[in-house]
Amino acid sequence: MTPLVAARGLTKRFGSRVAVSDVSLELRRGETFALVGPNGAGKTTTLRMLVGLIAPTAGVVEIDGRPAVPQEAAARRRQIGLLTEAPGLWDRLSVRENLVVYARLYELAAPDTTVDAALERFGIRDRARDPAAQLSKGLRQRVALARTLLHDPAVVLLDEPTSGLDPESARDVRALVRDLASEGRAVLICTHNLDEVERVANRVGVLRTRLLAVDTPQALRARFFGTRVRVLLACDAGRFSGLLRSAGVSDVRVEGPTLSIGTDGDPIAATPDLVRLLVEAGAPVEDVRRETPSLEQVYLRVLDESP
Amino acid sequence: MNPRLLALLGKELADLRRNPGVFMPAVLTSVISLALPFFVAVVVPYATGEQLSDSGDFQRATEMFRSRPLTSGLDPEGAVQAFVFQQFLVLLVLGPVAASMSSAAFSVVGEKQARTLEPLLATPLSTTELLGAKILGAFVPALVLTLATFSVYVSATAAFARPGVFRALLTPEAFAITLLVGPLAALAALQMAVCVSSRVNDARSAQQIGAIVILPIAGLLVAQVAGSVVLTTGLTLSIAAGLAVLNVALLKLGVALFDRESILTRWK
Repeated sequence: MTPLVAARGLTKRFGSRVAVSDVSLELRRGETFALVGPNGAGKTTTLRMLVGLIAPTAGVVEIDGRPAVPQEAAARRRQIGLLTEAPGLWDRLSVRENLVVYARLYELAAPDTTVDAALERFGIRDRARDPAAQLSKGLRQRVALARTLLHDPAVVLLDEPTSGLDPESARDVRALVRDLASEGRAVLICTHNLDEVERVANRVGVLRTRLLAVDTPQALRARFFGTRVRVLLACDAGRFSGLLRSAGVSDVRVEGPTLSIGTDGDPIAATPDLVRLLVEAGAPVEDVRRETPSLEQVYLRVLDESP
Repeated sequence: MNPRLLALLGKELADLRRNPGVFMPAVLTSVISLALPFFVAVVVPYATGEQLSDSGDFQRATEMFRSRPLTSGLDPEGAVQAFVFQQFLVLLVLGPVAASMSSAAFSVVGEKQARTLEPLLATPLSTTELLGAKILGAFVPALVLTLATFSVYVSATAAFARPGVFRALLTPEAFAITLLVGPLAALAALQMAVCVSSRVNDARSAQQIGAIVILPIAGLLVAQVAGSVVLTTGLTLSIAAGLAVLNVALLKLGVALFDRESILTRWK
């Protein structure tokens, strides 16, 4: 299936500084792709190149299989909805006026009706007449999201959509992101919030000028941490590490009463044999579970292990 | 008219309606420009009891205006008043220029500062449409102010000056100054301001560029009052034509100078 958006070897230099180097990624319909990376990693620059706000120094962007050219920038922008890092609302204009201006900029057939529907969908109908300056940060973000989706774009690019929001507002935004993907849109989200990535993203790309790793969260865990089983004992676990090693289990770590055991394949298949071995040796096993490193641990390891 | 340009123009005008203070310097300038000739030609002679026509300095003006068909019936004092009111017409042009400067200077810088520019640039809006809306957003109020000021000027002249003096303001030169030179000068000034506004981080830098247009107009006023220049219909139309050419060049320059990438990446 042709990806909705594809970046091929995207590179951006500002003078001698390389902001983004040789980034290739694909966004498919119904997929949420999270781009994570430290400050200054090039996330926003990548987003801007995808939407055509800045031109890549090298590489191409393809939209629905066709190379995006500057002459068709306006057409490209009709297919993409960009939520910028700041909501960027006109403070003196009402919520409704803000949206109506954008509906007209996109030359929508029925701007007023579309705006009414957006106000309803984002739960801001009762604030439609209020000047944007009077809105809370969470509401401002909702209006900005409504604006991003007014023209029903197939591709949605979100730059730090939950930054600075309270937990309730952030939860609403995450629910929206999931909805967008389920509607068949391709969603790219730039964020520092790895918990958020865990909740909404199908795939993750770790960017630090170049893409260091791209995969599903599960695959990244397996690649950078392997698969491990944690066994909690009611005594010092060090007493049993030698037993495991002598039984051919080489990757054993001891953390107080816990044994962290690396498995070559499926940890679920390997667990009964490990537990039997320990129990037969008299180990007081209290708890056994698959070890799941947090995405933050994975992210930090990716950064640490990449030159 | 282009629907995207109209959409953004609507936003500009709505924004101005919510923030009328931006327009106050222009209104004040116009009020002062309006009051000054009345002060010179009506208030001072009334207060001092001396007629302007008693002064030999106005001899030539008196002869000039009494030789014209529209103002031939004026008495000597009326002829001097007609001279003063027509000379000060150029001053009225400065009001709209000032009007356009304050809002135009802030146009692009203001969007940058409010961080509203990037979402705007992510729409299908072209650079020409963006700048066109910004320019018209400042120009339309300036034009309205020009027409309002001119109407008040003529009406007040009819009310307070000698009978028939107002006819001196209904000449082709007067219309050309008010309806062509004034608006075109305002347009040029604000185009310069918008150009600069898209290249700087501070609205004050953009506002200063207006002096480039204001100074020649002020110079023209001085030269006219001093008698060095007489604004005939031909000369006025030539100035208007020059300003029209300048405006076309400025629009092209503005579009060429508007670098989306620099605006987004070098400005925080």
